[in-house]
Amino acid sequence: MKTSYTREDTKDLFAQLRETGDPEIRATLARLHLPLVEYLAKRFRDRGEPLDDLIQVGSVGLLKAIDRFDLQRGVEFSTYATPTIVGELKRYFRDKGWAIRVPRRLQELSLRLNKVVATLTQQLGRSPTVSEIASHAGVSEEDVLEALESGQAYSTTSLDAPSGADDSDSPMRMDRMGEDDIALDNLEYFASLAPLIAELPERERTILFLRFFRGMTQSRIADHVGISQMHVSRLLTRILEFLRRGMDNGDASF
Amino acid sequence: MDAPTVTLRVPPLADHVTLLRTVVGGIAARRDYTLEEVDDLRMAVEEAAVLLLRHTDGTPLELRAVVEDDQLQVELSTEVATPQTVIDPSSFSWMILQALTDGLSTAVEGTTASLTLVKHRQHTDHHAEGQG
Repeated sequence: MKTSYTREDTKDLFAQLRETGDPEIRATLARLHLPLVEYLAKRFRDRGEPLDDLIQVGSVGLLKAIDRFDLQRGVEFSTYATPTIVGELKRYFRDKGWAIRVPRRLQELSLRLNKVVATLTQQLGRSPTVSEIASHAGVSEEDVLEALESGQAYSTTSLDAPSGADDSDSPMRMDRMGEDDIALDNLEYFASLAPLIAELPERERTILFLRFFRGMTQSRIADHVGISQMHVSRLLTRILEFLRRGMDNGDASF
Repeated sequence: MDAPTVTLRVPPLADHVTLLRTVVGGIAARRDYTLEEVDDLRMAVEEAAVLLLRHTDGTPLELRAVVEDDQLQVELSTEVATPQTVIDPSSFSWMILQALTDGLSTAVEGTTASLTLVKHRQHTDHHAEGQG
């Protein structure tokens, strides 16, 4: 799709946005650059994820880029935004992390169930049961359990990598994430954990805080952070594992 | 009649923690716990099992799941070298376990240390039919 805006329009919009903070302008900028997201998302299309999901993930990157972009830098916004969007997409695959071990059949089922879970959660106003998921998806309860298990079982390595490979340039700023400071204060109460928690990417830290300090349900966290409940579930499992392993290595009491 | 009880004993190795987690998750799922409740339980069992592994004297980990009408009670235990509680209530683990469960207790009897987790079933629509 050809867009009719020009580079100058983009600059003007950014200037206005910085001045007024108007969410409408932010939305306009996001809309104008959606083709960039679509273009980049397509590059990841052969990895077995629905394109729509990839565009959604990429859009998160776009919004981050919009919030961080500094006109003074003298680079085009699209140049600036591309690595952020690609970074978000890469992180998405890294989070999913199930490169080889999980059979394709289960990957596909798991992706499908992801959507069923989201739909049912919406409909029921609570987390669905396995039998509800099974009957809605037209598969057996055994299949659902197997898919859920496989979703949990895949690689836990990505959190071992130093954090911030994709977002080390500036702290992640999520719109509704005013809690971050509180989160750190609370978590640092557990002094021995603080260095480990500091290694977590900001989003993981937020999820950890919301689940265990705020007692927020996975579904609510999912809404809050803008990812699926099953994704929250996988991240939580991995965060705990990461902290546990870190504590074991550090010889401190957990 | 006593509530149905599932027991499982596994070698005290991290590899088998997954098995404990899967078994408890399977029981809860078949009891019509919601996905999030199942997930909470799985995470809690893993957390508890890992704690016990740190203190075991090398004897197996034992899991005992008591399946009651509206709750599942999971007790994990092992023998410890020095009788002491395996978890400090001011620890991060304790806080995590509390967030994941509806009831939490720890005990040491002789050389047996245990952690007991209770999870209520919130969604009970299917429950009545199941009893017929």
